[in-house]
Amino acid sequence: MGSPTYTRRVIRFDKVTKTYPGQKRAALDAVDLEIEKGEFVFLVGSSGSGKSTFLRLILREARPTTGRVYVAGKEINKLSSWKVPKLRRQVGTVFQDFRLLPNKTVTENVAFALQVIGKSRSEINKVVPETLEMVGLEGKGHRMPDELSGGEQQRVAVARAFVNRPMILIADEPTGNLDPATSVGIMKLLDRINRTDTTVVMATHDSSIVDQMRKRVIELDNGLIVRDEARGIYGYQN
Amino acid sequence: MRSTLSELRQSLSRNKSMTISLVVTMTVSLLLVALGLLIQSQADRTEKYFGSKLQLQVNLCTKNSPSSNCIGGVATDDQKTAVQQALRENPEVKSFDVRTPSDNYERARALLGQSDSGRKQLETLSPDSFPESYFVTLKDSDKYDGVVSQVAGMDGVGNVNSLKKLLSPLFDFLTNMKVGAWAVALLLIVAAILQVSNTIRMTAYARRREIGIMRLVGASSWHIQLPFVLESLIAALLSAALAAAGLAAFMYFVVYRYLRHTLGQLTTWVGWHEALIVMGGTTLLALVLALVPTLVMTRKYLDV
Repeated sequence: MGSPTYTRRVIRFDKVTKTYPGQKRAALDAVDLEIEKGEFVFLVGSSGSGKSTFLRLILREARPTTGRVYVAGKEINKLSSWKVPKLRRQVGTVFQDFRLLPNKTVTENVAFALQVIGKSRSEINKVVPETLEMVGLEGKGHRMPDELSGGEQQRVAVARAFVNRPMILIADEPTGNLDPATSVGIMKLLDRINRTDTTVVMATHDSSIVDQMRKRVIELDNGLIVRDEARGIYGYQN
Repeated sequence: MRSTLSELRQSLSRNKSMTISLVVTMTVSLLLVALGLLIQSQADRTEKYFGSKLQLQVNLCTKNSPSSNCIGGVATDDQKTAVQQALRENPEVKSFDVRTPSDNYERARALLGQSDSGRKQLETLSPDSFPESYFVTLKDSDKYDGVVSQVAGMDGVGNVNSLKKLLSPLFDFLTNMKVGAWAVALLLIVAAILQVSNTIRMTAYARRREIGIMRLVGASSWHIQLPFVLESLIAALLSAALAAAGLAAFMYFVVYRYLRHTLGQLTTWVGWHEALIVMGGTTLLALVLALVPTLVMTRKYLDV
């Protein structure tokens, strides 16, 4: 067992380089970092700095060219493909464009995440309303996504990502399509999820949010970590 | 399971026209394969009936043989020994089987028992009506003249038939039918495989959002593939059932109602036993044709 055994560490990058086929420049270049359970981490940097690659590696959508990535105690490079779904159940994901199923109601959208991993109907009937209440959508379970505001749609997406109580929540620009006031609401929700000891890793360009939250900030530039501050600010333009 | 079934229902109704066209193509190709197999088993049956190598049949005299070699009536033991000796010593003969009159009677019963007129004819016959005969396998099946000229004139020999000559039109016909059926079936099978692939590609595209979410939330590959596999399975079983029904209709109307009655004297025709075996074979083929491309294509298009 060469993998680290610290129980608090949920993500570890060990000299990780990722070069995409046909590209000369590495998307991530010898990245070394650790993220502990219950941490809230902002991932900042300009477009093309390597944020998306970083998130893709955590989800095992991509594999490192060299180096090792550990997620929830598993080295993703050694993980056989049939074990990947199990890993992804430990990692919830939220996107800028919500990615809801337009032909399903709010409840069905959230329940879908549990149905497809084989949870029982009784469990789904219990957990889905609880989660909808937690994200502030009680009473809106029967609505269709197009009847909701952008902020509400993102809440549905957060509920779907969190309904299986993952160890890690990945948020890729979750406020990118929302106005500032609605964004604050989503950040409060992510903060609330983080307080349940869920690790949150959020890629963002939204400086005001990062500055307000005062959480750990990791800044990437051309695939390199150029800053890693415990209670940082966006600081990109300074 | 409930979610898989609901996906399946949605997918089937979305792909209704594609599924129907797939079922039609598969049914026709399976039916042609079935006919090819049936013709093959007919050829095997005919060959078995007339002797495995289909070469020379030497019939000895019966009490009623009209041949000038049969003036003394039924061939005597000495005559039999002489004919067997001649066959054994002929350099063109590889081997020969002896068929007793009762063997030949049993064969005639199988043949004539197929039709009403044959069964009537059978009532007038007994093992005595049939000769002892020798089924001769030649070293070179085209060189039968030497053997024919040697034994045809011997005392006790009623007649000599070249089965190759006699049955070659039937075998040529069966072979052509078989090759034709299989060639068309092969083209249709290629079309069916392409249709399965196309259906999957279209469904995967229509469902790309669901599939993306399923992958993200950790649905197993099998769970993602299952609706596709079930859809193909339904199409395959439906096609196999339709092809089996088509084959049953062919057996009833063509083989039992026509061939056995009209051409019952020619050979023994295939029966329900063979048809059932062929149906089993085409059902298996349907499953392979639908499931193999489905598994390959879902791996390719779903990235599971």
